[in-house]
Parts: sequence; structure tokens; C-alpha cells
Amino acid sequence: MFETKKIAQGVHVHVHETTQFKTINFSIRFKDRLTVKNASERAILANVLQHSNEMYPSHTALRMVLDDLYGTSLYIDSTKRGDDHIVNLNVETVNDQYLSDEGVLEKVMNLMYIVLFKPNFENGQFKESIFKREQESIVQRIESVFDDKTRYAQQRMMELGLPGHPASITSNGSIEQVKQVTNESLVAAYHHMLENNEVEIYVVGDVSPELISSHIRDYFHFADRKELPEKTESQLQPPEQSRVLEYEDMKQGKLHMMFFTPVTFRDEDFPVMQLMNGIFGGYAHSKLFANIREKESMAYYVSSSYASQFGLMFVLAGIDRKLEEKAVSLILGQLDEIKQGHITDTELEQTKALLTNQLKEALDSARGQIDIYDQYMELSEDFDPAYLISRWEKVTKEQIAQAANNISLQMTYFLSGKEEAKDE
Amino acid sequence: MNKMEFNQLEETLYHEQLPNGLTVYILPKRGFSKTYATFTTKYGSIDNHFVPLGEKQAIQVPDGIAHFLEHKMFEKEEGDIFQEFSKNGASANAFTSFTRTAYLFSATGRIQENVTTLLDFVQSPYFTEQTVEKEKGIIAQEITMYDDQPDWRLYFGMIENLYKNHPVKIDIAGTVESIQDITAEHLYTCYHTFYHPSNMALFIVGNVEPDSMMQFVKDNQAAKTFDPPAPIERIFPDEPKEAAVKERTLEMAVQKPKVFVGIKPERLDLHGSEMLKHELSAQLAYELLFGRTSNFYHEAYESGWIDESYSFDYSLESGFGYALIGTDTNHPEKFAQEVKKTIHQAVEKWPFGQEDLDRVRRKKIGFFMRALNSPEYIANQFTQYAFNGMNLFDVVPTLEQIEVADLQEAFAAVSAESQQSVFTIKSPEKDTE
Repeated sequence: MFETKKIAQGVHVHVHETTQFKTINFSIRFKDRLTVKNASERAILANVLQHSNEMYPSHTALRMVLDDLYGTSLYIDSTKRGDDHIVNLNVETVNDQYLSDEGVLEKVMNLMYIVLFKPNFENGQFKESIFKREQESIVQRIESVFDDKTRYAQQRMMELGLPGHPASITSNGSIEQVKQVTNESLVAAYHHMLENNEVEIYVVGDVSPELISSHIRDYFHFADRKELPEKTESQLQPPEQSRVLEYEDMKQGKLHMMFFTPVTFRDEDFPVMQLMNGIFGGYAHSKLFANIREKESMAYYVSSSYASQFGLMFVLAGIDRKLEEKAVSLILGQLDEIKQGHITDTELEQTKALLTNQLKEALDSARGQIDIYDQYMELSEDFDPAYLISRWEKVTKEQIAQAANNISLQMTYFLSGKEEAKDE
Repeated sequence: MNKMEFNQLEETLYHEQLPNGLTVYILPKRGFSKTYATFTTKYGSIDNHFVPLGEKQAIQVPDGIAHFLEHKMFEKEEGDIFQEFSKNGASANAFTSFTRTAYLFSATGRIQENVTTLLDFVQSPYFTEQTVEKEKGIIAQEITMYDDQPDWRLYFGMIENLYKNHPVKIDIAGTVESIQDITAEHLYTCYHTFYHPSNMALFIVGNVEPDSMMQFVKDNQAAKTFDPPAPIERIFPDEPKEAAVKERTLEMAVQKPKVFVGIKPERLDLHGSEMLKHELSAQLAYELLFGRTSNFYHEAYESGWIDESYSFDYSLESGFGYALIGTDTNHPEKFAQEVKKTIHQAVEKWPFGQEDLDRVRRKKIGFFMRALNSPEYIANQFTQYAFNGMNLFDVVPTLEQIEVADLQEAFAAVSAESQQSVFTIKSPEKDTE
């Protein structure tokens, strides 16, 4: 699917030439190790670089030039995957051939260069007012999680259950660390990112791989990277508390459960665990949905998800706050069903069909192609959807039951409204 | 079968109205492996007062019934329809809006089987008192979930502020109390009135061959019998031009106050190409006033009145619409005051010329082209437009015709002081500890 060229040590360009889309998509990904400090700095950095630059020194000036380039979308986000923190420049621009205008692509590539390499500096530092404002933006972004109670509950469980582990570090870092970043340390983080991070550059659209690669090599001046620090596999330690109740001013009860599984993305049994999760709670045909929602009418949403990078599985449900105990016991009851091998042929076939469908559908968007390729590249250079599908096909009920037996509940976290006197 | 070619966009749309009244649209997408299909009825939460099919007297139904009906369509005597879709490798879903109820699936194989499931399950209602009762617990949890979401409360709070009588002010899912009154009989009444094929559209987009698919749908429909199409009589109350409530605050636990300034449009009777031109013109005018390149945005950002949650939107349907400008902010009063001032100044002296228009027009064309990569966008947006007599593929040609005077005229209809309203969410005052 992608044609890969190495343009410097640790810097790769991957191009997928296709006429499927009316636009051309770019993604430039700077990968570093995930620590709270790194994440905090790089979240601010992403915002500062996205704000303005030497050539377009105000937000308005930059946004105007993007509008003129047929509403080219350009944003920088900071994300995480496993033990990696990723700063990602995303650009999507309309393919020239649909416009009466030509030369848009070249202008867009030049703009990407300016955004990354010509920051809005004043005396060797980021413009102080912009730095301060974006630092404040990240603090507010972290604080705003509180307003989304599902995200907030999940984050609380992670902080309490796996403190310091990459699974609980958010891509924005922490309020404390964000506040400690100085303009000087941000400049250092910026240079470190440009010079030392692994860089994966993706391009999807009706473009020539040779032209794109040589353009990036000649204009972007990415130097060879030194060896990156070795990855240290983070071990999962059982949480100190196995059950936590917290209260906020709210109506619904948010039940979050955390399980450990020895199987990760890199294991032979990865496809088995994907199927196990799918049969348990990944879909609308899954056991959790069919029983907790449809049969018991207890929840509108109830599902499981598999964080394969870390070997974690979560169950999330929105329930009446008085029903925590009942919900936990019903959920574990469904897991027991799988442990005992009570899986129907239909459940197995449905889950295989939906995993397959999900993968194929994801490949119908440029973003999906980039994300999936970027993830699977770690396992193998030759990404092949058919191979992934064939691995699911081979999985048996016995293997799934076995995988379920290796899962252990580590923590339940319940966030709900305070008991009101009138309910008594 | 009719064929519409959009050469500049390299898209071809096939469509036909079947003898039973159903309109079918098929749009093949080159290079895609998935197919996305929506089966939509022009029936949403606002259609709560109507004359049931074959009767004379209008009735008022409980709040939240269109959404309740959507949930109940998935349950059949033989089981849950989600199971059927999963067997054929399809992800299915549905949603209810103010004006539409849509049932949909996406799949990368067995498309005919999945289209059959989609058509057949939506065209075979099965409601019993027992299954209706059982659903109340699920929907009550859904409503409770939304009750805890301040952004949803903010949005609905503003619509309640703007509209005095129109049913758009009623929450789409109803309330935990209102859904208790819903019966199987209500559901059948609504179903028979609004789910006639002549009130519905099927849109199939993606990896699909138009000729054989159209024939397949025709055969499916020809094998079923329907009453002849009859016009649906919906009753809407008179709605004053002014915003119903000028200002209101809700206390709720939030990290930071949230505020919306809303403006109620004057022209709510538009249809077809006139509506499209008005909606696009108003969107461009609002983009110039409140978009990322506006003076307003620049000043609000520099002064710290807005944060990353800042947004604005203009949306128009038949009978209702709104412009919304909002943000999380520690200065909600200041923000609202500045938004109103900006509107007022533009009313007094229109500040934009040809160059401004050209720039936001290009931006909007680019947005539209990006959106055409998404089968979901095409199917949903096309259907919404079609129900209002508009054609999605007229967007670019219409944009190209718009002039500065059109922006000014559209803006004039969405700007009067009496049509404006402010809604704020703040945390209750905390006791000092």
C-alpha cells in the first residue's frame, strides 16, 4: 500500500499513490518516549507551532493563507501510543485537478516546511505572549476533562490504579508539569524534537512517490537521528485499591472496570484476545450488550475495549447509581460464560466478520490508512490486511476461552452522584 | 433510472422514485471497499402534533416518541436486528434528529443481504406492551447520560431560549417522565403515519453497482404492499419572530462557565435553491464575523475570553434554525457583550468586500471537497438537503454565484437584537471551606 523511502537515519517517507480521494493527506509524526514531562512540553509545543510562524506571525495571517489555499486544513496534535508520545502535523488539501487553480500542492508543502522549521521566535525564544497563552490552553484542556464524566471517570481510574505507568499518562501531560514548562525549556524540547525524534512522514493521494520524497528530502533538511533510547517494557503492577467509589454532582453512575491480560499487541495470541474482547463487549451483538442492555434494560451503553499496547481490558457502563453491585456481578457473569467456553458459532462468526469489516472500512479513509500502517509497521514491514484477516479466521472457541481464563479483574471504579435524602 | 453527473467533482448520482413513492439514490465511489446505506424517514422529534393516517382528528403524542420508535424498530419477534447485521459483517446504527429518523449500516461485503435486512426491518414494525415497557429503562439511562453532559445542556438550553412554541425546543429523547406515557399503540400510530415509503429516502453510497442495485431494491419493494401515498398533515404552532427568553443561567457542576449567544433567523419559510443560497450566504457571513480569521476571534483570543472550545454554527431547517456562537470562558458576560457588539457593528456598517468573500468561499469549497471523501457525510447531508428540496451537489455552483450583497442580505435576517439570546452554565457558588 505505502511505498517507503528512508531519507535520513530514523526518517522515513511513506507514500500511497491513489485516486480514491479528492484530497491529498499529509501526516508528519515525531515520535519520542512518553513521560509526563515530555507530554506536557510537547502538548504546548504543538499548539505554539500551530499558532503562527516567522512568515505568518499572527494566527489570523496563518489562517488566511490556509483559507486561500482552498481551506487547506492544518493542525498539530499531540497523541500517544503505547510508550510513545507523538507530535503529529496533519495537513489535508484539495487535489489541484478539482480546482481551476494550479500549484496548490507546492504551496502547501512549503507552508508545512515553514510551520515546522521557521517558528515565531523573538530573540531565540518563542514569542512570550503566545507561549503563555498556549500553556494556559493546555491547562484548560486538561481541566475540561471534568465536564465529560465518562472520560473523567476513566482518567481517575487510571491515575489511581496505574500511577506513573504510560497507560495513565495522558498525551497532554499534567497540570503541574505544564505549569513548570518555561519558554527556554520549550525551545529545547522543540530542537530535540526536530533533531532527535524518529520521524515518519505519510502522504496519501494522487501524487508521485518520487516527486514527494525528493521534495521532502531536498527542502525539509532532516538530519540523521542518533540512536533513540531503548524501549523499556513497562510492567503492570496490581492497583493498590481494588474498588474505588467517588462522588460528583451528577445523575448517572459511571462504572469502569479494569482487567489485566498477559496478551499484548506484540504477542502471537493478539488476534485471539481481539476476538475475546469482541465477543465479550466490543459490538452490538456482544454478550454485554445483549444481556446487560437488551435483557436487563440496565444500561444505554455497556461495552468492553482492549488496550492492546499494554495488555489491559476495560468495561464501561452507564447505570443507575444504585445498581453498581448488580451490574458488576452480571458483567463478571458474562465473562464467566466465555471462560467456560459458552460461545456460539454465531457469536464467533459475527465477531470475525465485524473485525474484518472494521479493518477494511478503516482503510477507506486516508487517515485510517496512515494510522493502521503506522501501528502495524512495528510488527512487519509488509503490511497486509489479508494476513491480519487470516489470523482471525484461524482462532477457535477453545483459544478464546483460554484467553478469558487468563484475564483478571484488577479494579472497579464507580463515579456517581451523592446519595440524596429524598431517595430514602 | 435517472442519472446526474457532476463533472467537476467526478461524481455520478443515480436516482429513481419507485411506484410506492420511495426515492432511491445510488452513488458509486471509486476505490472504496465499503458501502454505506441510510434509510431515512422525514419524521423527527418536532413531528409531535399531526393527523394520524386515515383519521380526521389531530393528536398530540408524548415527547421523545420518534426516538423511542427508532429504538423499538430494532427488536423483532425473532430477536434483535443488530444480530442480523453482525452475521453479515455490517455495523448498524440509527439516529433521530429534529426532522429525521435514519437507519443505517456500513459493510464491506454481502451488500444485498444487508440492504435486504435494512429495508425489511424498517418496513416490518413489531411493538408489544411488554417490549415497549422494557425499553424505558434503557432510554431513561440514555436521557440521564445526556443530562450529565454540560455541552448538550448548553445547546438545548439555547434552543429553549430561542423558541417559545415550536417543538424544536423539546429534547429529542424526551424526559424520563414523558417516555413513561408511551404505549405500543402510539408507536403504531406514528409508524403508520410517517414510515410510508413516500415519506422516505434510501441512499446507498460506496462500492456499489448502480444498475443491479436499483433493480434489487425495486424487486424488494415490489414484493410488499403499501397503501397509496397520502399527504401527511403536521401541525406547528405559531412562533414569534423574537427570541423567547433573552437571558438565562443554569447551575451545574462545570470546570469553567459555558456560554452561548444564539440568534433566531427571520426567514424560516424557505425551501429549495432559495434556502440553499440563504443558508450558505449566512454561513459565509458568520464565518467572516466569527471565524478563525475574524477580528473578533483575534481579539477574543488575545484577551482570553475564549479557549479551544470556541465554536460557531449556523443551521437552517424548515420552520426553525439558529446561529450559535459559544465557548467555555471565565468571562461569559464579556464574551456575550462582545459578540453582540460585533453583530451590532456589522448591522450598522457592513465591513466586508469582495476579497473577504473570495477567501471564505474558497475555504468552504475546500471543506466541501474534503467532506466528499466521506460516504457518511454524503448520505446524511444529501438526505437532509433533499427533504428540504435542496441538492447537495448544488453547493459549489451556488457558492460560486454568491455575491457580497447576498451575504449582507442573509446576515440582515439573522442579526436583530430582539432575535438574540444568551444562555450560560455556571457552577453553583461553592461554600467556603
